[in-house]
Amino acid sequence: MRFVWFWTFWHWSKESFRAGHLLRSPLQGVGGHWDEWFQHEASEQDLRAIEQTGRSESTQREFIAWLFRHWADDCQGSPSRMAPRFVAAQLAQVPPFKKWRAFEKYRDSYGLAGVSALVLSGESAGGAEDVRRVEAVVLPADSAGQKLIPEGFQAEAAEFAAARSAAQGVLRGKGLLILLGLWVFGGRRPYPRWFSTALSAGWVAVAGLILFLLMGPEPGNQLFLLSAVLLVLWCTLMLVAAAAVVTQSFRAWRTGAELRAFLEQSQMRLRMNGGLTLKGGSAGLPFCLNLLLALHHSRPEAARRSWIWNRFFSEMHSEAESWAATGVITAAGYVSPVVIEPKLRACLQHNRIQHILTPRQREATQRALCAIKPSTGAIKKESSPELVSSPMQIGFAAEKPCLRIHRCRHLAQAIMALGRLNDRRRIIANVFPLIVSAIMVGGLPDLRSILLPYPAPVAVEPASASPYFLWASLDTKHPRYFSAVLESRYWSNRRAEVQPRGGLTPSVRAEIRLHRVIGTEASEEEGFVWIERRRRFLTREFLPGERVGRYSIPYLTRIGHE
Amino acid sequence: MSNEISIEQLLRWRAARAEAEAPPAPRAARLLELARPWWETWPERFQRLVERLGSIQIAYGHAMAEPVEARRSGYPVPTLIVRRAEELETSVCVLYLGVRDGRLRLRFQLEKAIAHMPDTVEATFVAQGFTRPLFSASAVLSVDNEYRIDCELPEKLARDWKELKVTDRMPFRLILRSDKEGP
Repeated sequence: MRFVWFWTFWHWSKESFRAGHLLRSPLQGVGGHWDEWFQHEASEQDLRAIEQTGRSESTQREFIAWLFRHWADDCQGSPSRMAPRFVAAQLAQVPPFKKWRAFEKYRDSYGLAGVSALVLSGESAGGAEDVRRVEAVVLPADSAGQKLIPEGFQAEAAEFAAARSAAQGVLRGKGLLILLGLWVFGGRRPYPRWFSTALSAGWVAVAGLILFLLMGPEPGNQLFLLSAVLLVLWCTLMLVAAAAVVTQSFRAWRTGAELRAFLEQSQMRLRMNGGLTLKGGSAGLPFCLNLLLALHHSRPEAARRSWIWNRFFSEMHSEAESWAATGVITAAGYVSPVVIEPKLRACLQHNRIQHILTPRQREATQRALCAIKPSTGAIKKESSPELVSSPMQIGFAAEKPCLRIHRCRHLAQAIMALGRLNDRRRIIANVFPLIVSAIMVGGLPDLRSILLPYPAPVAVEPASASPYFLWASLDTKHPRYFSAVLESRYWSNRRAEVQPRGGLTPSVRAEIRLHRVIGTEASEEEGFVWIERRRRFLTREFLPGERVGRYSIPYLTRIGHE
Repeated sequence: MSNEISIEQLLRWRAARAEAEAPPAPRAARLLELARPWWETWPERFQRLVERLGSIQIAYGHAMAEPVEARRSGYPVPTLIVRRAEELETSVCVLYLGVRDGRLRLRFQLEKAIAHMPDTVEATFVAQGFTRPLFSASAVLSVDNEYRIDCELPEKLARDWKELKVTDRMPFRLILRSDKEGP
C-alpha cells in the first residue's frame, strides 16, 4: 500500500475527532489537522516517508494523483467529488506541501472554473483586477452547522443566505416555475434539427388548412376529410409540444429536487482571493450561480436526466471563464440594480470576459457600454520616447467592444442566458402555433359538428300563435348547426336559422315568415318543413348538409294545440 | 607594500569591531525583570485586563432551524486581544485540545478575522472566576488563521484537563498579547 503515512494521519484525525479532541470533522479541518499531526504526532518513519515522497516533483504528482483516484474512493464519509480538490488546496497551505511544486496550482485555487464576480476594490473606477474569479466547492455538511464558508474574503452571513435561498428556489420552488415558464415561452427545445423542421412544417400545414377552409373553394364531400386531417394534425402537434414541455418540466423538477436536497445537506465553500471585506451585496448573483455550478461538479450524474439542467450546467462548465456577473440577489431570486459603469469598464479591460450578467437597469445597455471611456487611472497608455520624438502617429483602429450584456430581472433569466437556452426563433415559433391554436380552439365545435354530427332534433311545441309565422321548435342544444327550410307551392319557400328565442313562449326554433304565392291553386296546408344540418367553420358556412327531418305544415301549426 | 591579509586576521579584526559596537550586556536586575511574567511586571494593568475579560459575555443563541443535537460547534472562549494601540474583545474557537505527558497542545481560531494579527502572540490563560493567571504560552500562527500552542502544563492542570473535550465549556479565558509589547 502506498502513502501509508497519509492513511496514518487520516486515521489519527478520525479517531481524534471521535474522541472529542478535534472540533472539525476530518475533512473540514484537514489543513489544521495535518499541521498538528505533522508537527507533533508523525513518527520518524512517517516523516522519512513524507520526505521521500516530496523529493521529486514526479513523486509529488503521484501523491496528488493517488489522492484523487484512490484515497477519494476509499475515504468513507465524504461522498462529495470535490473532497480531493479541497484536501489538495488545504494541504497546499501547510508544511511540507507548501514547498512542494506539484501543489502550486492548488495554493490559491481549486482548479475549477466559475463565473467571475465584479467587486471594485477601494476607490477603483473599474479595472481588470476588479474582475474576480470565484470558485465554489461542495463538501458534506459540517457538524458545526455552517452552511457557507467564505475563503479569501469576508462578507456578512446575510449575503450568503440570500444567494443560497435563491439557489434553493430555482432548484425547487418559485424560481424553478419562473425558469420553466421562460423556457416554455422562449427556450431552446431538445429536438434534432429534422424534427424541428417537421414540426414547423406541421404548423404551417395546419395554418394552410385553416385558410383553405375559410377562403378556399367549396370542399363539398371533401369537407369531412379535410376537417379530420386538420384536427388530427393539430392534436398531434399539440401533443408533441405538450409532451416535450411536461416531460422536460418534470425532469427539471426531479433533478432540481435532488440537487436541492443535496445542497441542504452540504457545506459550500466560496473562494475569492484578495482578502477583501465585502461591502454591499452585488456579488450575490455570481455567488449563487457558482453555488449551482458547484452542485453540478459534485453530482454531474444528477443533471443528466434533465435536458434543461444538463444544458445549463454543460454550457456554464465550458464557458464560465468568459462570463462575469453582478447584481444583488434576493432570497426569492430577483436581481436588484447595482452600480454598473465601473464594472462594465472593468470587464472591457479584462481580455477573458465576453459576457456580463447585470440587473435590468437603464445603465446596463450595449449603447452605454460603447459610451464607456477607459478610466483615467485604470488604463495608462504610455508612449515611448522614440515615438514621441518621431513624426510617426499612432492610430487606434479600435474595434467595437466584444462584451455582451445580458440583463436579468431574475436568477432564472441568468440561467437561461448562461445555458444559452434563449432562442429568439423559438419565440416566433411559439407565437405562430399559439395564434393557430387559438383559431383552432375557436373552430373546434364546428369541426366537431362536421366530424361527429349532433343527433337529429325532433319538432316540439310551442307552435306559433300568429297566422303570419310558422314555428319549427326543435329539442336541440346545438341550434346553430341546424336550419329549417319551408318547401310549399302555396307559401313562398324560405330558409330560416334555428336559434334560441325569447318572448312569451321561449324555445329553440326557426321562425318562418309566411308569404302566399300569388295565383297558386294549392291548399295552404300543403308543404313541408325540412330540418337540415348546417356545416360551418368559424366565419364560413358551407353548402347545407344532409336533411334530418321533415314535418308537414299542419303538424307544426297544431303541435301543442291538440 | 603587500595588501594580503590572512583570513584569521580578518576574522579577529571583525570580532574586535563587533565587540566595540555591541551594546553593553544587561544588568542582572534587568535580566530578572525580563524573565518575570508580564502580569507580575505590570500587575495593575493585568488586573484591569482581567476585569475586562471577566465582563465579556459570550453565548450562542440558537435561533434553530435544525435540531441542536446535530450541531457540534463547541463553546466560544472569551478573549481579549491586547495590542499597542488597542484592546479588542472577541472570542476564539478551540479546534484541537490534547493533554498528554503533562503537555498541552491547543489549536484555536479567532471567531472573526482581525487585521494585522502577528504570527506569534503570547496567550495568557486565566481561570474562569479567578484573578490569577494559570500560565502563559506562545501561540504560533498556523494555517487559515489558526494559532497553535504546545507547552508544559502545571501538574494539577494536566490532571484536570486530561479529560477535557473541544466540545466542553473551556475552564479558561484568554488574553492574547503581541510578544514584545510593553504595558
